[in-house]
Amino acid sequence: MATTTSTPAAPGAIERLQSRSEGQWAVVFRRFRRHRLAMASLAILIIIFTASILAPWIAPFPRDDIGLNRTRMPPMSVDPATGQLHILGTDHLGRDFFTRVIYAARVSLMVAISVTTLVAIIGTTLGLLAGFFGGWVDNTISRIMEFVATIPDLPILLILSAIMIQNADLIVLPSWIIGPVAWIMAVPNREATQVALLILVLSSLGWVGVARLMRGMVLQVREMQYIESARALGGSNAWILLKHVFPNAFPPLIVAFTLGLNGALVSEVAISFLGFGVQDPTPTWGNMMGFATSYMFNHPWMPLIPGLPIFLCSLAFNFIGDGLRDALDPRLKL
Amino acid sequence: MTAYLVRRLIQMVIVTILSAMLGYSLLYLAPGGPLLFLQQMQNTGQRRVTEEDIARLKARYELDLYLPIRFTRWLAGFPAGPIQIGGVNLISPDTVVGCAIPGQVRLRYPDGTVEIREEGCVRDVTLADLAQRRTSRGILFGDFGLSQQIARDRPISDLLMTRLPYTIQLMGVSTLLAILIGVPIGIYSAVRQYSRFDYAMTGITFVGSSLPTLFMGVMAILIFSVLAKDAGLPYLPSGGAQGIRNYDIPWIGTVQAGSALDRTLRFIMPCAVLTFFNIAAWSRFIRSSMLEVLRQDYVRTARAKGVRERAVITKHALRNALIPFVTLLAGVLPTLVAGAAITESVFNWPGMGRLLVDALGRSDYTVAMAILFISTVLVLIGYLISDILYTVVDPRIRLA
Repeated sequence: MATTTSTPAAPGAIERLQSRSEGQWAVVFRRFRRHRLAMASLAILIIIFTASILAPWIAPFPRDDIGLNRTRMPPMSVDPATGQLHILGTDHLGRDFFTRVIYAARVSLMVAISVTTLVAIIGTTLGLLAGFFGGWVDNTISRIMEFVATIPDLPILLILSAIMIQNADLIVLPSWIIGPVAWIMAVPNREATQVALLILVLSSLGWVGVARLMRGMVLQVREMQYIESARALGGSNAWILLKHVFPNAFPPLIVAFTLGLNGALVSEVAISFLGFGVQDPTPTWGNMMGFATSYMFNHPWMPLIPGLPIFLCSLAFNFIGDGLRDALDPRLKL
Repeated sequence: MTAYLVRRLIQMVIVTILSAMLGYSLLYLAPGGPLLFLQQMQNTGQRRVTEEDIARLKARYELDLYLPIRFTRWLAGFPAGPIQIGGVNLISPDTVVGCAIPGQVRLRYPDGTVEIREEGCVRDVTLADLAQRRTSRGILFGDFGLSQQIARDRPISDLLMTRLPYTIQLMGVSTLLAILIGVPIGIYSAVRQYSRFDYAMTGITFVGSSLPTLFMGVMAILIFSVLAKDAGLPYLPSGGAQGIRNYDIPWIGTVQAGSALDRTLRFIMPCAVLTFFNIAAWSRFIRSSMLEVLRQDYVRTARAKGVRERAVITKHALRNALIPFVTLLAGVLPTLVAGAAITESVFNWPGMGRLLVDALGRSDYTVAMAILFISTVLVLIGYLISDILYTVVDPRIRLA
């Protein structure tokens, strides 16, 4: 950081002083921009994300348009009956792959975003409370976290989602959950239940990591002098927590959020791939991958079509997380 | 130390029982349940199901017992019948522990609708009745009950035993290979930080650890099985631990189904995918741990007093860098059970993870719970072992 000098003539001092007035987030963004792979990843993610948002408008075919005389066509092939082009070919039921991939992007990405957001909210709240108040609050929350951490992730996720999804017809979720989920995922209301259930299952365990991270950060921040001075000024607990503790404990959460997106995406894909997640006809990259792999011996391009977006997004989330970590780390010179 | 161990063991038992309770409540509070099909049959009017049929089926799944009794029987096989000490009944054998046939009350509402509500009990289940049933020894003692769907009426422990060798083979070999390859890579990367080798390895391991195993598995099959076979090159067979019929591989010749060669060929791909993934994790871990240690004062001291660089790295740095390695090693234990469910499913490898997926696919939740329970216990044992190992490798740490 620039040192304060009383002599104004030092060359470059003006710039240095100006750069100091730059906001914290502007600095982070400037540092982040140097990470080329992260910027490329961001661009790819924005493209995929935009395509998924615009899915109902840019999709050339209806989502569930089955055509048994045009099944498993390779990419860039023309349907002889209608003369229409299928850019990425068709799946095992003759549905247009491009249409389904962008609709699936909507479901897969939105599930990942919803799960990570829910996890971040629950985890941050619990972590803040545990770290800030200590005592029995910390004890209770920490014991729960320890218990959840001993349960192996993958088996419990598979079991929970299998039980929930296989009985999805019996579970009635309130309309204030179903409505928004159906709207965000661009799926009909009757398909939204399983998506909502999957979101709940994936969020039910993921909060532990965030809570632990947040608790650790708060424990550090709590001892800082500015917290002491805020207290001396007569600040209430809530005010100190929201105005001083949270903003200062926040940066690592951004990295955790980005990597959490990858974790949620990969979990959803894996669970849907194994058949315990979102069910056909609602497309997700996971269940498309599941169907495509059973035809891969005669149609080797099929698994690539849902597989490449999974690959790209997963890598992109990791690169962005890496870039953010570097950008947010003040010890690192970029 | 002994006091510490005793306290830890008590904690472990508590957590085990808690997680068993969690599993159990999931199992039986799940909507639907094993009797769902009865309700559906009656609703569609396909077949009349008598009260006796329902009572018999309920007894089979122990659904006629009260929840606490059901749970203790599942957990520890207690009570298995009248509770006796030296032939004297502690509690009357006629104590009611459940209800075989619930009473029904017809409620007629003013608007003409009729609701049938269960109330009271027509026939009770007593402690003495329990003596006639198959009682599990309890999951705490390794009896997980009978499978309901996957292998009907076979003990779940048999089922697990047939799958265990495959999982141990896959996870054992891949973990071992990953350590043997990943640790040297990590050390070398750290010692030559910012060298070309380091950049290349950090890049590869970054991609390796961020790629989903699902994607890697499918791509491996695509390239080494499908495309290689189509191109007339030697290819790796995929799917299962051994073939069903003999097959030809270019340059190698005919492979006998079930021969050692067949098994090896089928083992290569799932093992390679897991190994690659693990190498990434191990080498990144060792690299950062090693970098941390190389910055320490005692390393500088060692260098300053003229110790050869090789000795500095192997004697001073590496030994300390390997301390956190112990935690990771203990984390491997629980993954031995169902850690590779996805890889095993992609390659159709008949291990425990695949069993979990199969069991869930056919709603055989008791098998799934057994697997969950075993892996939870292994997690706990893993934690304990790593804590004890810590004191062995790092004398600065004392357990109290």
